[in-house]
Amino acid sequence: MGNSDREDLRFLQLNFIGRILAGFTHEINNYIAIIKESVGLMGDMIKAGKSGKNESRQYLEIIASIEEQIERSLDLFRYLNRFAHKMDMPRVSFNVNESMEELLALMNRFANQRKIRLETDFQKDLPSIQSDPAMLQFLVFCFVREKLDRLDKNSRITVKTARRDNSVTIAMIPQGNRVEAETERLYSPEIHEHVIRLLGGEILEREDQGIQITLPVNMPDVSSGDGG
Amino acid sequence: MSRTKVLLVDDEVEFASALAERLELRNYEVRTASNALEALGLIYSYPPDVVILDLKIPGMDGIEALKAIKIFDSSIEVIMLTGHGDGFSVEQGLKSGAFEYIIKPVEIGELISKIDSAKNKRNKGNT
Repeated sequence: MGNSDREDLRFLQLNFIGRILAGFTHEINNYIAIIKESVGLMGDMIKAGKSGKNESRQYLEIIASIEEQIERSLDLFRYLNRFAHKMDMPRVSFNVNESMEELLALMNRFANQRKIRLETDFQKDLPSIQSDPAMLQFLVFCFVREKLDRLDKNSRITVKTARRDNSVTIAMIPQGNRVEAETERLYSPEIHEHVIRLLGGEILEREDQGIQITLPVNMPDVSSGDGG
Repeated sequence: MSRTKVLLVDDEVEFASALAERLELRNYEVRTASNALEALGLIYSYPPDVVILDLKIPGMDGIEALKAIKIFDSSIEVIMLTGHGDGFSVEQGLKSGAFEYIIKPVEIGELISKIDSAKNKRNKGNT
């Protein structure tokens, strides 16, 4: 891998982390905004002397909404915390389904923005794999982002996992109308190829059937010292 | 004096309904919309004095929605809602005719002050 490619990979990884953080802060900001308005509304109602039976029901509904926003925030904090810690572990045994669930939760904002649904079809009892979870998430992020940009609204992307012999597959299957989109720097086949080589797997792309990543349950030792 | 008609456009339904209720308790007449299409429909059927417009609404870029509102009636004042005071979007919005912007989560006092200023500007423009 040349210096230029190494710089590209570094740029794309920083871009990936930046976007995940931007999505996260946006979501949390929205939850806090709902909590703030809900608390403000209860204060306004108390000041206006609203304390009848009907209002009691409304207070309870507002409190339930606040609790829901707090739960949603906590879930997202947990996902981000786990995401951040994956950067510490370049080779570790992990569960692909959990890793994908976490990534998709952190990407949900981008999908909602484009009115596209992210769905999962995870095989249960998938074996843990030995690999680099942060690198895998980076790769899946690149592919899902690409699909998000190239699908019309009201489409969906299904992320499907399955076991095949001594491998685990992760397929990203788009369903919906395609739209023309400018190719971003995020989509670099050379970089994707390099990353999948580091993971010891392979990428298969089929027209209209999406992209499939295959990873061995045990990552072969392919470290070349330039993994980023 | 007639009540100020406000259209609040935000895809976070719970946020919009709580804020709408708070404004109604302060004697504003408020409608809500959760996407650009719904908002534009309401602008035709119920022309508001002031639109509070989230720049990140689904279905249409917020700036495009702002331009569509201004084409329909340039005297309708638009206050942009933005998550983090994103400089580029705010600048684009102000260039495209927005009256002001406010950062989410909002301070109700600040929002009311901006709504009243926007309504005053609209009244002056209509006299």
